[in-house]
Amino acid sequence: MSRKTKGYLLNTAVIAVALLIFFFYRNSMMEANNKNFRLSVIPSVWQCCYLIILSASLNLVLGFMGQLSIAQCGFMAIGAYTSALLSLAFERAGFYTDKSGFNFTVVLILSFLNAGLLSALVGLVVGIPALRLKGDYLAIITLGFGMIIVNLINNLPFAGQNGLEQGSASSSLYENGLGFSSKQQVAWVFLAILITLFAVTIMFMFIRSKYGRAIRAIRDDEIAAEACGINVSHYKVLTFVYSAFFAGIAGALFSCCNGSLSTGTFTFANNSILNSTFLVVMVVLGGMGSLTGSIVAAVLMFLLNRFIKEGEWLSSAPQFVQTIFGYPMLVYSIILVIVIVFRPKGIFGHNEFSLINLPADLKRIFSKKKGKEAGV
Amino acid sequence: MKRMIALLLALIMMCGIAGAFAEDTVKIGIIVPFTGTMSLYGECMFKGATMAVDEINANGGLLGKQVELIKYDNQNDETESRNGFNWLIKQDVELIIGPLSSGTTKAIVDMANDEEVVLLTCTATNDALDEEDNFVFRCCYKDSFQGTIGAAFCYLNGYKKVGAIYCAADTYSKGLYDSFAAGCEKYGIEIVETASTASFDSMDVTNQFTAMIEKGAELVYTPYYYNTIGPLVVPQARSAGYTGVILGADGFDGVPDYVVPGADLDIYNNVYWNNHFDPNADSEIVRSFVSRYQALYNNETPNALSVLPYDAVYMFATAINNAGAADAESVREAMSDTSAVYELVTGTFTLNEDGSPNKGATMFEFYHDTENDRVDFRAISVINELPEVK
Repeated sequence: MSRKTKGYLLNTAVIAVALLIFFFYRNSMMEANNKNFRLSVIPSVWQCCYLIILSASLNLVLGFMGQLSIAQCGFMAIGAYTSALLSLAFERAGFYTDKSGFNFTVVLILSFLNAGLLSALVGLVVGIPALRLKGDYLAIITLGFGMIIVNLINNLPFAGQNGLEQGSASSSLYENGLGFSSKQQVAWVFLAILITLFAVTIMFMFIRSKYGRAIRAIRDDEIAAEACGINVSHYKVLTFVYSAFFAGIAGALFSCCNGSLSTGTFTFANNSILNSTFLVVMVVLGGMGSLTGSIVAAVLMFLLNRFIKEGEWLSSAPQFVQTIFGYPMLVYSIILVIVIVFRPKGIFGHNEFSLINLPADLKRIFSKKKGKEAGV
Repeated sequence: MKRMIALLLALIMMCGIAGAFAEDTVKIGIIVPFTGTMSLYGECMFKGATMAVDEINANGGLLGKQVELIKYDNQNDETESRNGFNWLIKQDVELIIGPLSSGTTKAIVDMANDEEVVLLTCTATNDALDEEDNFVFRCCYKDSFQGTIGAAFCYLNGYKKVGAIYCAADTYSKGLYDSFAAGCEKYGIEIVETASTASFDSMDVTNQFTAMIEKGAELVYTPYYYNTIGPLVVPQARSAGYTGVILGADGFDGVPDYVVPGADLDIYNNVYWNNHFDPNADSEIVRSFVSRYQALYNNETPNALSVLPYDAVYMFATAINNAGAADAESVREAMSDTSAVYELVTGTFTLNEDGSPNKGATMFEFYHDTENDRVDFRAISVINELPEVK
């Protein structure tokens, strides 16, 4: 058995065991009707899931291909609205009435798939002209795209404000369409986890394939890559579309668990931790070119946000700490500055966390601590 | 490394200690933005609510228990409002005030009904919020009333041709425009031009106002918040050559603090808006509230955003006293009673079947206070009931 196969088997086994443990944990919590689990753990899992897909998919473009795109929330908006409107339309048509059975599963699959596909299609249309540009110019185009999408959705009569917020048939996504209520979120939590696992696995396979090696070559030296016979613009557009597809999937997950949709969530600079700039922060923090890094950074950022917002510890902290932590955005930027100064590569750098290499990695890190050389 | 671990442990211990002090109190949660673009409103709301809670506690609390106010910063964001809501009910809070905007309130209305927690919103004016539910109440009037007030103002003052600029993306702005348009139809006022802006908080409306002038609008309805009206909408309208009336709603509260430095303050003349509360009103309850508020907060004049949460806390207090219990179900029943009268700073009112109050609005205008060289506002009329069409 090759080392690669062993690694895959080990990962699959560990994930399966973790899922099984979580399954029994959830069932026991459901039986006990645990308030903390329903109101705190499950919403966190859902939110982490879409943040993970988003930051990992952005990492494909930003970290592995080296192109600065800040349109990820725009693609997410497309996915969110597509899935929400599609599922609401099916519900109004009477295709399904409750959230179970064959019909609802079909609608779920259709919504998620269409969310991804439409985002990918828009990604293709945007990507073909945009990816001829480099660096700042690409950033500007993607920034404009994010704004255009939000305005388009606002002014679509069946989406935007008229459709979802004040429409006659459905006022909100809570329990309607593919939106889940708090209790349904507990029952359907494996939907989010499995979709995230699936998405991350596919992204891993992508970066380990010849495509992944090609886009890394493009990142390192575009001219050299072209000289080696890599079709640069083809690979660039392909990766962009690929990343947009998963952003769309993340959007569908977002509309599942958020109760209502408003385009304010997807604007370039809103007040929350979910916006295109913040996703870039997550990718940089986790390490550009490390999918596991993005996953860790997304979860870390989420937990940090919760920690600041909900911490009773704040009231017993010194006054100046309270003042700083009263402005969560300030804390995030301080952390980003610290990471950039002390570890410019991000938490993981180019490296991936891998179970099979874990003993060797740990050994290397600890031996380095004893004063051999700096850097990983 | 050891120091890091020690620090972490100390932090965890602090969390534990802080969590350990739990007394038997009446817990009221408040979800408002303390950071982000709407933080000015959030701060005012928290000040008002804190003042009411402190007063109640100084007078012996409710049903012999002290009242505890638990705050959550939602950054005016839907997901954060949801997280905050979950966090509050996890701590057994059954009475919640907030959030600030209609959009963020919308995100948790269904949850409040599902989790059976009383949600009392004091600033979300959108109509759709309390239609088909039992656990959601409000202590401000609705957009359908507020927008119609705008139309009634046009009718009473003889404006025949009006225009409107609003943001279709925002629940508040769109809701107000819809009811204003309906009101105009009712009163036979012609809307000559409508324009929508893409964004609610950063925009350029010069072209829209040029179009208004071309169509001959005498009055333009602009339902936005203070942070755009002060620095953007009014200066841009005047620089486009528009000299007519600019009419708005309760979001104009706070504009004088957002005037562009160095601007010609005369441009803020001819701007009218309605609000929930007049700090200069000639009534005992308002005078006493204003003097107490000013004594507490550095001589600041209270605005509607600080008085509505103050009233909201007292609405809960009245309901709890009427019900004789502080759990969500009893409070809900007490508040569903449409004959219960609330004598509060923003007026004496009852709640209708939807859970919205029956009360009037005060119309205000801005003027250039030449003595102090600042923009100030004054009440011009009170509309308690909508006028009939003659």
